[in-house]
Amino acid sequence: MTRSRAALALALAGALALTACGANEPPPGASQAQATRGGTLRILLDGQTVNYDPAKSSSLAITSLGLVHRRLTAWHNKPGEPAKVVPDLADVGKTDDGGKTWTFTLQEGLKFSDGTPITAADVKWGVERSFAPAFSGGLGYHKQLIEGGADYRGPFEGAELAGIQTPDDRTIKFTLVRPYGDWPWVVSTPAFAPVPKGKGQEADYSEHPVASGPYQLVEYRKGVEARLTRNPNWSTDVDKVRAGLPDEVVFQLGQDASVISQRLVADSGDDKFAFGASFVSPAQLAQLAGNTSARQRLVTSKSGALAYLAFNTGKAPLDNPKVREAFQYAVDKTSYQIASAGNAELAGDIATTLITEGIAGREKFDLYPTQPAGDPEKAKKLLAEAGFPDGLPELDFVVSKSNNYPDKAQSVQASLARAGIRTTIRTLDSDAYTTETTGDTATFDLTLSSWQPDFPSANANIQPLFASSEIGGGGYNLSRYRNAEVDRLIGEAQATVDPVEAGRKWAELDKRILEDSPVVPLIYTRNSFLRGSKVANLFIADFPAYPNYLQVGVTP
Amino acid sequence: MSDPLRPNAVRPIRGAALVVLRRDRWALAGALCIALLALLAVGADVLTAITGQDPYTYRIEALDPATGAPAGALGGVSGTHWFGVEPLTGRDLFAIVAHGARTSFLIGLAATAVSVLLGVVLGAAAGYLGGALDRLVTWTADVLLGFPYLVFMIALGAVAPAEVPRPLLLIVVIGFFGWPSMARIVRAQTLTLRARGFVSAARSLGAGPVHVFRHELLPNLWGPIIVVATLSIPGKIGLEAALSFLGVGIPPPTPSWGRTISSAIDWVGTDPMFLVFPGAALFLATWAFNVLGDGLRDALDPRTAR
Repeated sequence: MTRSRAALALALAGALALTACGANEPPPGASQAQATRGGTLRILLDGQTVNYDPAKSSSLAITSLGLVHRRLTAWHNKPGEPAKVVPDLADVGKTDDGGKTWTFTLQEGLKFSDGTPITAADVKWGVERSFAPAFSGGLGYHKQLIEGGADYRGPFEGAELAGIQTPDDRTIKFTLVRPYGDWPWVVSTPAFAPVPKGKGQEADYSEHPVASGPYQLVEYRKGVEARLTRNPNWSTDVDKVRAGLPDEVVFQLGQDASVISQRLVADSGDDKFAFGASFVSPAQLAQLAGNTSARQRLVTSKSGALAYLAFNTGKAPLDNPKVREAFQYAVDKTSYQIASAGNAELAGDIATTLITEGIAGREKFDLYPTQPAGDPEKAKKLLAEAGFPDGLPELDFVVSKSNNYPDKAQSVQASLARAGIRTTIRTLDSDAYTTETTGDTATFDLTLSSWQPDFPSANANIQPLFASSEIGGGGYNLSRYRNAEVDRLIGEAQATVDPVEAGRKWAELDKRILEDSPVVPLIYTRNSFLRGSKVANLFIADFPAYPNYLQVGVTP
Repeated sequence: MSDPLRPNAVRPIRGAALVVLRRDRWALAGALCIALLALLAVGADVLTAITGQDPYTYRIEALDPATGAPAGALGGVSGTHWFGVEPLTGRDLFAIVAHGARTSFLIGLAATAVSVLLGVVLGAAAGYLGGALDRLVTWTADVLLGFPYLVFMIALGAVAPAEVPRPLLLIVVIGFFGWPSMARIVRAQTLTLRARGFVSAARSLGAGPVHVFRHELLPNLWGPIIVVATLSIPGKIGLEAALSFLGVGIPPPTPSWGRTISSAIDWVGTDPMFLVFPGAALFLATWAFNVLGDGLRDALDPRTAR
């Protein structure tokens, strides 16, 4: 579980987000032509690597990994339509005992890129492989849930995972330790991609994986590029969620984020057929304001990850809920919006709930109503009531150096100062930051973070951030929030199979948790991406706030 | 500046400095510039209070609501915001530059003081006492002069615990890596002074090393010390700016020219004035100390004296 996925994000193409800026100009994002089959699509990445090992991946179902690997289920991902779980290799699963055992049936005629048939045993092998210590690091929602998973160490030591049965080549049955209504979503995570049984023991499997999706990896050079070509054994007859339009997809690696933006703004040569996988920064967005051509090629999500200010609730004085409540009024969310993207439309709406926009069951409420710029006087009053009439002792405010967090932290710092709350910002490299905030002991008082669910269920909004099992040990309960009642309610909501009923329970939990104010919800972060003029079908649906790589194509 | 002085160039310092300022127009300009920046640094609070600004308060109303860039021409320059405002925050750029001058001067001067102290004591001890100490100091100075100190400082900045105040860390580290050049010159000077009659006389009358250092050597060392120190200040101000530019210097929100320049790079296309003001301040500070140092060297060095 890397922070990048938490920085991952909700959405409709930039049209709606930007029309407010210039009513007379054509709405940006509206001018995309229809993509045709063929051509080479280029994707510009600022990272040095792109990972194609499903066991080690935390990739969303609609981004890079999805081009090469299919999973048991997939996401319905269209602008304006709610996210749903849809069949991919298999159907969406059946349970007849209230969510404790789940059976999936694979389609007929599925083949790997090497021509061998994809069987249930290959899916099982792929899941088992994700338990091997050498291949950890991917999304692990399944690891504690499958029976026998708690102390299973992977198939390379000879043992099989007790909780998965494959009665025949097309049937796979999961036995879970407790009823879990979101299981069909969990099997859309990367570990549920098939790996040919017996293969994938080598550490560099990610550089020559056996493909089940529309593309196979033919060339991988770290820091330079990853080249995908068509998988001859894949066709749209057996895959309804991937368009597979371009003949080739090339990931250019190790590009500086600002250079990516400049290349895409210039829109020359091969860059016409490229889009950037990293967010466009505020300074670059300001530059685009005067460039009509480039602005039309900006795609902004409708909503996105919840950005929040987390308190270390295990440490005085923030162990006092009254003190934390003061922060709900002290923070100026408008200056946070401007620090994030220059203006409110591009930054994203002000957040008051934990469940993000576009998630089924979300209820909008505001427990701490105030103006967007906050109410420092009310915050001071609450602090005085909590026994701190002269403000708080200096607080340690730790943030990561990535994603403009130091700038965002300064805006929060300045707004807290208005209420007499003094903070010292401490910036850390992202790895050191993750260790500091997700480790077993925490010395910080405040931190900024953002969270995008790994699958479109409120469960993935709430459980990873607020269940006491996620405190320390790499878990993302940064607030160290521990409430036995909330833990019990999370268990109950997870066991609910009916989505409507489950949604209601999660919405109640949302309120219940915010009453203790372990975090201040700041904004639902919009993400902006740039594309070249020949890239088509680049859209961002309501969830997640990332383009759907599986549908993108190019025009000649 | 490898050999700024002849060892026997001992002259009354104050007189020489005045002569420099009278005769050398560049040195005078440098000195005036330094005085101006020092005034800016010392009077930062008073000067920004005139328009009611400070470098910490966010003023979103001063920004263009569509982009977050400063509203108005030239980065929002106006009667209230003399240098305009910072994009995305609306903080007053004049206040940032003025308070940044304070940071730069504090770090630059304090680090110079550290390296002068270390350099003079070690250099004089090595030159006067000689032997194993001389070899040790010379060897250490050679190692440090060839040391990739920028990389070291970046690494140190990343691992130093948060409890250590960052300005203090910068002063000590920048100062520490600055002593070898000072020590070399002081050592060379001491070697020649040691052979001079007045030092031999003091020694033969029973004066100990400390007494000789304070009463015989030091008065004759001030010239080179002042020149080398003045010429090393701009390097140290620049180093602080470089470290802040790289994100391991002074932590936000304390203003620092280097950090502001670093964030201004991204805005150079849309708001060039955001880069121009702190950039010009950094340029002026380093240029002024350099020309003043050059002037002092010319005056105190008989080879170049006019």
